[in-house]
Amino acid sequence: MKRILIFLLVFLTAVGLTGCGGAETGTSEEASGQVFAMDTVMSFTAYGGDGEGAVQQAQEVVSQMEELLSRTREDSQVSRLNAADGQQMAVDPALGKLIQAAGAYRALTGGSFDITIAPVADAWGFIKDVQQVPDSQTLAERLALVDGSQVQVTERDGTWYVRLGQGQSVDLGGIAKGYVSDLLEGAYAEHGVSSGVVYLGGNVYVRGAKTDGTAWRVGVQDPHAPEDGSAYAAILLLQDAFAVTSGGYQRNFEMDGQLYHHILDPATGRPAQSGLLSVTVVADATGRTQLEDDPGNGTMCDALSTALFVLGEERALDLWRAEKEAFDLVLVTEDGRVVLTEGLADRYEAIEGSGYTYEIVS
Amino acid sequence: MRSYPELRPSGWDGLVAALVAALAVLCAAVTWTAPAEDSGSLTAVITVDGTEVERIPLDGETEQTVRGNGYTLHVVVTETEVFVASSDCPSQDCVETAPISQPGRSIVCLPARVIIQLEGGAASPDVDAVIG
Amino acid sequence: MKLTTHQLTACAVLTAMALALSYLEGLFPLTAAIPIPGIKLGLANIVTLFALYALGPGQAMLILVARCILGAVFAGNMNALIFSLLGGVTAMAVMIGLSRLRRLSVYGVSIGGAAAHNCGQVAAAVLTLGNGAPVYYLPVLLAVSLLTGALTGLVSASLFRALSHTGIMKG
Repeated sequence: MKRILIFLLVFLTAVGLTGCGGAETGTSEEASGQVFAMDTVMSFTAYGGDGEGAVQQAQEVVSQMEELLSRTREDSQVSRLNAADGQQMAVDPALGKLIQAAGAYRALTGGSFDITIAPVADAWGFIKDVQQVPDSQTLAERLALVDGSQVQVTERDGTWYVRLGQGQSVDLGGIAKGYVSDLLEGAYAEHGVSSGVVYLGGNVYVRGAKTDGTAWRVGVQDPHAPEDGSAYAAILLLQDAFAVTSGGYQRNFEMDGQLYHHILDPATGRPAQSGLLSVTVVADATGRTQLEDDPGNGTMCDALSTALFVLGEERALDLWRAEKEAFDLVLVTEDGRVVLTEGLADRYEAIEGSGYTYEIVS
Repeated sequence: MRSYPELRPSGWDGLVAALVAALAVLCAAVTWTAPAEDSGSLTAVITVDGTEVERIPLDGETEQTVRGNGYTLHVVVTETEVFVASSDCPSQDCVETAPISQPGRSIVCLPARVIIQLEGGAASPDVDAVIG
Repeated sequence: MKLTTHQLTACAVLTAMALALSYLEGLFPLTAAIPIPGIKLGLANIVTLFALYALGPGQAMLILVARCILGAVFAGNMNALIFSLLGGVTAMAVMIGLSRLRRLSVYGVSIGGAAAHNCGQVAAAVLTLGNGAPVYYLPVLLAVSLLTGALTGLVSASLFRALSHTGIMKG
């Protein structure tokens, strides 16, 4: 009997010694929420820490940002700024920083991302869902208003001021969701969330790894089958990262046998024809960009995905080669290739039978 | 002299192996020919503006009318999949969305603020999120 | 159960060996070749088989339970405990039964144990998931257990042969 007791004692000590290692892998509670905002459905899941608090704050942040940035709400700051007709206006610091960041990405991409595209987008009817092909005179008039360099952002004693050019208006649709994802990264960090997904339409932020320790699996929608939610061009294996996809298949209309999509080239005022079907930009959530007052990598991914779609494969890859450390790309081309930059070489899965050929570039 | 335990296989061991093989074949016959129930117990969860309004198990053909934000959707639930048969919403995205049959998949109608999501089932979803 | 020092030492050494074999097996997962959950060589079964013949059912069971619990603790995964325990105990019960049939060799006992182990694991999966889907894998697991069972039987037979002169074997 005594010997059995000794056996048990030794055994229990062993359990005690290693027990602390085992405790942490316990499954933590999932907190989740869904909200319709910014013309899309957003969902949040969070594990660990104060997940409920994080999800609640996420929903508050989203509704605040929508109030600030929406172009369809007449009382939003963006709507009032667009109606200010060249007058300087004091704005929320969030809006000021965002417009400043938009200017920086405009400069970085040689003008292929420009928030002052709004008058042209309106002529196409992409905002109000009544789509049409504008006549060339309307297009020329509206295009003359597109010039992001006229937008002035100044900060004095903590107050932010924005002045648009005469007749100009801005649309932050190409950057707002990325900015929200940056804010939500902050909210998740504040609440000690260890793992989770923030899903904002074409934007996603994955925090940490999954609760089983493996990477999050993020499918890149197959542009050839936009209506099929289980058709992917590739699956990305991501941890602590932002990923944003822009593609012409996301919103478009057909007229006289021609397909017109919503990503407009600021140089021509027409849907960009760059040989790409979609662009996905991936960046670490922990890294930082070089920009002053930089809102974060989520904002960068969102702005760049639009800009690089306009630029096309070659120029997109040139830009990537200049900023290799900052982000990675997945380009789906019209000729059936999926081009991935080298940082994703061991973080993706090809889709068998999808018909795509996969290329890694360096 | 026979040693204990017996170290050389005999016909009796063959019998054990044959029994195991027979069991494998029997199990295969039972589980693999049974109607495909590996989808487990899938449930279509319908939410309108974030509030859950309906849970429908995928166990037979039913049609459900869902109203949200002034629009009306007709959702069809079969034993294997869920789709929106018709909707009076302006975008028609929900109707054009391919039928869903995997857990975690969803059909979203933005104008009506309706989400139809599949929950449960044995297979885990192949991705955690889809971008684009 | 009263254990002599000799028996206690033997149990401890065999438990350690079983754990080491489990760990070794984890380094070369069979699931990489055949992607079916729960598929493995079952090298630790060699120890169980040896203990069953050399020390008897009681101590063999003690080693098995200790190995399962310690293995789960070392892996930091208590969820795996129910799987290994249910699989292991089912296998043990079947092997105790089969080993009584003196006409059966180590091979038959080993194959029976491997098959029973898989049945137990699938039962554990069904219990924890509350879903009958894992049964789908059982036919393949059983087929594979014919091979892995024969393999561990072969290793055990060689082991017994090598040890036969030491008089360590009961019976």
